[in-house]
Amino acid sequence: MSRVLRRVTPVIPIGAKSLAVTYISVVVLIPLAALVTNAFRGGLGQFWHNVTTLESIDALKLTLLSAFLGAAVNTVMGLATAWVLVRDRFKGQGLLNTLIDLPFALPTVVAGVTFYTLYGPLSPLHVNITGTWIGITVAIMFVTLPFTVRSVQPVLESLTFSAEAAAATLGASPFRVFRTVTMPALLPAVLTGTGLAFARALGEYGSVVFISNNLPYRSEISSSYIYSLASSNQNVAAASVAIALLILALGALVTFNLVGQVLGRRSR
Amino acid sequence: MKKSTLVLRIVVLTYVAALIALPLGFVFDRALAHGLSAFIRALRDPAMDDAMLLTLKVVLIAVPLNVLFGVGVSLWIVRHPSRFTKILDVLIDVPLAISPIIVGLILELAYAQSGWFGAAFARWGWHVMFSLPAIVLASVFVSLPLVSRQVIPLLREVGTHQEQTAQSLGAGPVRVFFTITMRSITWATAYGVSLTMARVIGEYGAVLIVSGNIALLTQTLTLNIGANFENFNNYQGFVGASLLSLASLVLLTFLSIARYRERKRHDYLV
Repeated sequence: MSRVLRRVTPVIPIGAKSLAVTYISVVVLIPLAALVTNAFRGGLGQFWHNVTTLESIDALKLTLLSAFLGAAVNTVMGLATAWVLVRDRFKGQGLLNTLIDLPFALPTVVAGVTFYTLYGPLSPLHVNITGTWIGITVAIMFVTLPFTVRSVQPVLESLTFSAEAAAATLGASPFRVFRTVTMPALLPAVLTGTGLAFARALGEYGSVVFISNNLPYRSEISSSYIYSLASSNQNVAAASVAIALLILALGALVTFNLVGQVLGRRSR
Repeated sequence: MKKSTLVLRIVVLTYVAALIALPLGFVFDRALAHGLSAFIRALRDPAMDDAMLLTLKVVLIAVPLNVLFGVGVSLWIVRHPSRFTKILDVLIDVPLAISPIIVGLILELAYAQSGWFGAAFARWGWHVMFSLPAIVLASVFVSLPLVSRQVIPLLREVGTHQEQTAQSLGAGPVRVFFTITMRSITWATAYGVSLTMARVIGEYGAVLIVSGNIALLTQTLTLNIGANFENFNNYQGFVGASLLSLASLVLLTFLSIARYRERKRHDYLV
């Protein structure tokens, strides 16, 4: 088979291959290597010290809390939205489907300044949530909604009604059908969406930085902390905190995927 | 209709309206708060116009680079798989998991004058940081996987039967590529291009660090909006924000057209 393929697809010239490898090295690999060497420049002890300063810990706590809350709310609302998009029929559904992608297309800074004005000190709605975990969570809810919706939607579309119908004819209540038949089939996709949302939320900056006010120890998220370290030339400390944040984000992605796969397999 | 369906519909519509539609409407409301003539006057702000031009430049350089790379690397990964392409496949997705601020930081660590290559580059009179190349580099980084993620699954799905048929009928490799391969991935590529454009236009954190954020020199439109808010020039900021919102609405339309056409192509084949 592969010999046939090789004949059909034009062989990619070695020059193009090395160009692609150079490209990804210059853009991704060399900078990542620079991050690792900088973070551990002062040894493991220094790295750990940089990650566990009071300001860093407070920032990490707030980042984790708001990312968790935002991802949790959108896990539920993402599932509900996907359900309404797939199983319901009404006028304006296409508009809803398009609007869900807006957070992907709208620059984060636009969302940031808009939330700051809508829910800030000069709020036309007279709600001021700047500098609080609530404000940060609202920004994160905005940014992460499409991740949870778009993870569940295709799986829900491909689900056939037959198993649900069988359960219903055997006398199961709608809620029981959802809990025992529909939900187990959706769970891996739901958790993948949660993982994507959570990982994205951990690193979010533009939409959060205005509403958070960036007060150290109080309303500063890790991205802001890294930025303030980098702009005061504390590159080693910035690199250390960045590594910690990266490990958390990658860890969350892997964990949610694995849990989803295991639960999905068990339900089958 | 069942009551629970209606309740769910209302809950979802309220949530999306409050979280997404309200802020979007609010941007345009604020931008037009002082009337159309004030808005048109604000459009002639020199710092903003300069920022817009820079953003346009970055899009014109970064997007073609990533599209070329994305399509090429997808073909390589799908059609000539090896142990090496497996690593490549994972590597391309890495930028999605990295915070924009970290992207900015690591580009600075590698390419600033105090960084790994900065000193050597500076000796050749080449300053990467705080200039157009740095902004392009940051934009390319954050949008790297957006094309290949669309194209790879599609290339896997369509397989090579049509290409083999075309070849057996006497078409050369270049003709096969343009008449068969490219035609099957056109809309997936278009989808990826729209996502890439949106990401490049909207990038803030990474560009904030690597550009130096100097008005009239290295300020992109997103940075200009942020700077206007920090200087309590909120109205000018909302005028810029309304332009970017308009751009994202256009891109959203492209996205839904591309999705629709791709689905039609798919249904036609199946």
